Amino acid sequence: MHPILIERRRLGLYLLGWLPVVTLLTLGLGRGASPVSAIAVFVPLGFVYAFIGLSAWYVCRIAPIDHGLPLRTVGAHLVATVLASAMWIVTGDIWVSALDAMMPALNAGALFASRRLPLFVIGALLFWLAAALHYLLIAFEGSRAAERRALELSVLARDAELRALRAQLDPHFLFNSLNSISALTVADPAAARRMCVLLADFLRDTLRLGASARIPLAEELRLADRFLEIERVRLGSRLHVARETDPRADTCLVPPLLLQPLVENAVVHGIDQLVDGGTIRIAAARNGSALTIALENPCDPDRPRRSGNGLGLDLLRQRVVTQFGADGDVRIDEQPERFRVEVRIPCAS
Amino acid sequence: MRVVIVDDEPLARGVLREFLLGHGDVEVVAECANGFEAVKAVTEQRPDLLLLDVQMPKLDGFEVLELLDGEIDVIFVTAYDTYAIRAFEVHAVDYLLKPFPAERLAEALDRARQRLTSKAKPAQGFAADMRAERAPLDRILIRDRGDVHVVPVQKIDYVESQDDYVSIRTGGKSYLKEQTMGDLELLLDPSAFVRIHRRYLLNVARLSKIALGAKDSHVAILADGTELPISRSGYARLRELL
Repeated sequence: MHPILIERRRLGLYLLGWLPVVTLLTLGLGRGASPVSAIAVFVPLGFVYAFIGLSAWYVCRIAPIDHGLPLRTVGAHLVATVLASAMWIVTGDIWVSALDAMMPALNAGALFASRRLPLFVIGALLFWLAAALHYLLIAFEGSRAAERRALELSVLARDAELRALRAQLDPHFLFNSLNSISALTVADPAAARRMCVLLADFLRDTLRLGASARIPLAEELRLADRFLEIERVRLGSRLHVARETDPRADTCLVPPLLLQPLVENAVVHGIDQLVDGGTIRIAAARNGSALTIALENPCDPDRPRRSGNGLGLDLLRQRVVTQFGADGDVRIDEQPERFRVEVRIPCAS
Repeated sequence: MRVVIVDDEPLARGVLREFLLGHGDVEVVAECANGFEAVKAVTEQRPDLLLLDVQMPKLDGFEVLELLDGEIDVIFVTAYDTYAIRAFEVHAVDYLLKPFPAERLAEALDRARQRLTSKAKPAQGFAADMRAERAPLDRILIRDRGDVHVVPVQKIDYVESQDDYVSIRTGGKSYLKEQTMGDLELLLDPSAFVRIHRRYLLNVARLSKIALGAKDSHVAILADGTELPISRSGYARLRELL
């Protein structure tokens, strides 16, 4: 399909661009004839040529000029030009005979007959102009497509990079968990075994989910549950979790490990820093095609201001921006006694 | 050997307790879940050795040690290997990485016993140099016998020197800390605190205006109306900063 014919707006602009050509044509060739006759004959013909000129696109496509101007290309355009002009003249003949039949007073046939040759030449020149403009259009579209491809590639690469970064689990989580297992081995062997299984499941899921491009939110939430369950073994009664998740949000597809760094932050920078611990709140809601995930944790009001959770949040923001553009949003609400992150992304399922 | 265990995780304390059972000469006199409890326990129990976690709420292991200022030997027990050099700097007896085997703890305890019998006094006076060459302080810790006060530096109005002590004034309250004015001044952000007088270190954010005093001298008037004298060189330093 011709790129100008795809959109009504483009076609409108194109025809508007033809208006001066048609005007010049009518004024130039209509000189010496009655204005009414000139308008009746040349204005419709001018606009007809606007469409004939579009055919230059197909010629340009089969005869590209990437590698100079070979003889074949010139030949193809010469043939096309003659054909286009001839078609125009034939159309004109049909049109004026129709006019003569309807309104003999206009004397359209005689006017047209005397202008055939200049019309043929003008047609040829206009066709060459159209061909030149189409080459320009093709080059422009080509560079735009290349730009888009490059952008898509960089988004993919960036996301892969971020996922790889995310998959690098904080090793201290592992060391602390292993220390808990070491403690439980004698104190509560059954619990030690449970903890081993939990840890293995969590690690397996992290690896598996991290390798996919999109996962259902339910999977991400289950990973968070596993992580928090392991941390609860370590933190005991200091860690509480409240989850309010909309079952309709479960099937939404989200980038993997989107929530995980937030959950880790909530433990490390929130609960870990509080003598009496607190409750981590996880909420997910779906409103039509909009998905909102919120995570809130209490924190120490006397914490040093240079809190180290900046990197995780930066990565999250970058991922949301590269993947969802203006449709995604990360909001951070930091209060003395609580920290809240809200992620809004479109829900694809 | 009387030992205090400090770790915010119950299971981590459990491992230590379990491993210590094998050492007949070791008595666990207290178990603490945070730094405040640790300072209190050390003040009250006077133990020989502290088994100390680093990452804890409110006060970290190093802050606990700074408050205790060399009163006691310490073995750090942590999942982080990044603090090993700092631990060395504060003359820690040993540095255990979680998880560790019972033999490793036994080794550390041997070292502690050696240090106790050789009567080498626990490291002293490192509190000041352990902070040197680090970012400016963001809070000041004050030990009041068994209790600990934490004062964020931005809440300080001014500091007054009193011989070997400094009096830290914040919102009408004052805390006495055993530290010289010169040492404290080095630890604070020089763009926020100015020595306006031999005896006064001012938080510039509290300065309301500078008035003319008697004999060409200047007086700093704080937001709450307090008046502090400004020395000639103090005035120059203040002018330079403002």
